[in-house]
Amino acid sequence: MQLDEATLIGIAEPLEFLAVTIAVIILAYLALEHKDIVYAAFFFGLMAAVVSGYFLFLEAPFVAGMQIAVYTGGISALIVFGVLLLPRSQDSSLETFPSLEKSRIGKLIAAAVTALSAALALTYPGVWQTAPSYAGIESEGANYFLEELAVWLWQDHGILIQIVGLIILTTLVGTIAIMRMEKAERLIPLKSDFGIEVIDLEKEDDHESDQEVSSSSEVEDQ
Amino acid sequence: MMPLYAYVLVAFILVGMGAYGMMVKRNLIRILIGAEIMGNGVLIALIAFAMYGPTAGVYTFAGQGLVVLVISVFAAHTALAMVLMLMYHRRYGHVDLGKVVILEDEHFD
Repeated sequence: MQLDEATLIGIAEPLEFLAVTIAVIILAYLALEHKDIVYAAFFFGLMAAVVSGYFLFLEAPFVAGMQIAVYTGGISALIVFGVLLLPRSQDSSLETFPSLEKSRIGKLIAAAVTALSAALALTYPGVWQTAPSYAGIESEGANYFLEELAVWLWQDHGILIQIVGLIILTTLVGTIAIMRMEKAERLIPLKSDFGIEVIDLEKEDDHESDQEVSSSSEVEDQ
Repeated sequence: MMPLYAYVLVAFILVGMGAYGMMVKRNLIRILIGAEIMGNGVLIALIAFAMYGPTAGVYTFAGQGLVVLVISVFAAHTALAMVLMLMYHRRYGHVDLGKVVILEDEHFD
């Protein structure tokens, strides 16, 4: 018995989807639970790469490429470098809250977030739909969506790309500015009545000026 | 084609796992990884709803354009979070959320 192409695709796609889903869940679990945080960062990068498989299933190859470039190539590399620059982050005792009660509250909140997102998603009117709305235009060819998206992004909605560029530029300038804030390291942290850390610049300046006055008066006495 | 709820199911499993990472872990880097996993779930949901929605023929590219914008915002917030962590580590010498002054128990007693 010979199966036609449509039947084969019909059998293969759920299996591919299942394989990608299992890989994503296992990699996400390892990214969260692996004892060594450097490996966890690598597992996260791998998970982000596998997630792009969903975008390929959904006929969004440009987003899949961007996911691999930004998440696997950018963000996971940033996290790995961050781990290397923060030696204390590799302490395995930081993995869970020491108190069981806090850990339970955390799990409860996580379960509530999951339940809420599930409730919101499953009450969406068209969520039980079995075929995508673009099914009618698939015959246009494999590159149809890529070409149309390129036209949509670069001709009709070029402002969107400019906003993306502006966001990344602002972040770059902001991160460099924060890294150069050496003055912040020298400030003395204080605890207010509410436990919130505040930095009282005036008091610090007064303290410094008092010290200067006392030292100058000592010189005069001598 | 896979039904829409299959993608939605995966999306909220990832959101739940990310929320677990953000709520239960104390290591700031692990919390950041949790936030990114949540973000991946959101991206899957966005693309799936854009492709399966009733107006997909018209707004398919709007959905993809939105996801491109969201990915760049995620990259920006990760870079900013990492720099803030570096500054925090440089100042206090740890990245332990349990020791962050604002969240200490004594202030809520």
